[in-house]
Amino acid sequence: MNLDLHEKRIPIIKIRDFLIVSIQVDMHDKLAIQLQSQILEEIERTGAKGVLIDISVLEMVDSFIGRMLSGMASMAAIMDAAVVIVGMQPAVAITLVELGLEMPGVDTALNMEKGIEMLEQRLANSEFL
Amino acid sequence: MAETIVFEKAKERIEHIEDVLSSVAAGDLDVRIEAEIEDDLTGVEEAINILIEDLTYELKQSKKMREELEEKLSKIEEQQKTIMRQQDDLLELSSPVTKVWDNILILPVIGTLDSQRAQIMMENLLQKIVDTGCTMSILDITGVPTVDTQVANHLLKTVTSARLLGADCIISGISPAIAQTIVHLGIDLSVIRTKATLQDAMIYAMRKNKLLVDGKIKSENISETEESE
Repeated sequence: MNLDLHEKRIPIIKIRDFLIVSIQVDMHDKLAIQLQSQILEEIERTGAKGVLIDISVLEMVDSFIGRMLSGMASMAAIMDAAVVIVGMQPAVAITLVELGLEMPGVDTALNMEKGIEMLEQRLANSEFL
Repeated sequence: MAETIVFEKAKERIEHIEDVLSSVAAGDLDVRIEAEIEDDLTGVEEAINILIEDLTYELKQSKKMREELEEKLSKIEEQQKTIMRQQDDLLELSSPVTKVWDNILILPVIGTLDSQRAQIMMENLLQKIVDTGCTMSILDITGVPTVDTQVANHLLKTVTSARLLGADCIISGISPAIAQTIVHLGIDLSVIRTKATLQDAMIYAMRKNKLLVDGKIKSENISETEESE
């Protein structure tokens, strides 16, 4: 029970049609799993069309977190929400590629602004269809 | 009686020779045997003197040579240091990532690529992408004569890493030789966008850019009505 009290929750902010998740703490496996279900529940609750995950402060991403992120993208996709990973650091990108986690199917953006732009464009396109 | 005197004398001289030899052995090369009387022993004494003379000369010569060698060695070490420094400089200089247009970075690669250089290149490019916020980067390998599996792999990694950051990376200027090598090695570059020349890559990047900025992009198709410069 004490552990739960110390558990940090990563805030999920809804702006218009998007959810914004800014990861500011070091990710450990338990937190990652918790975040995953938290985001999916939030997608269902709010009907968000896109999720932006900012990992610009993460210095290190291990294979578990990498898999979690790419898994989340597929899960969100079947719930009709696009996931964009924002602000990955060069070192993290190199590590992931070296690990063979190239995350196909996950969209990425250099910063939050470009990520939002990307999602808005996608939304505009899908409405058109 | 006279014989005893001669014997004593000879013994004295032999002792003198022994003294001289022992001091030579100890390193004092200036001593010589002084011969006072001409007799059978004089020849031996002179021979020893000549030997000491020769020894002195040889020792001087070898000392001089050792000094010269040491000098040359230090010179070579100096040169080695210079070469190492220049190699580092070369590695630094050999991956100039330049912003050529809004949102477009170019990395022209000239000369043979090895693993180390490809690694540094990749790190520089990725860092620059983050620093400038450019979403388009062009890796121009016109000036690269050949690639091997490792280097091709590095190119692939560079493009994939750039994609993870949220940037597009185009490779341009793949020569016939490199194309052959890559296909023969069985490396699949189909996931990477490649363009024939730097110009083509530039046109592509700018068109895509413009479309992106205007928010009109619907597919990968690029309309021909866009400006090409």
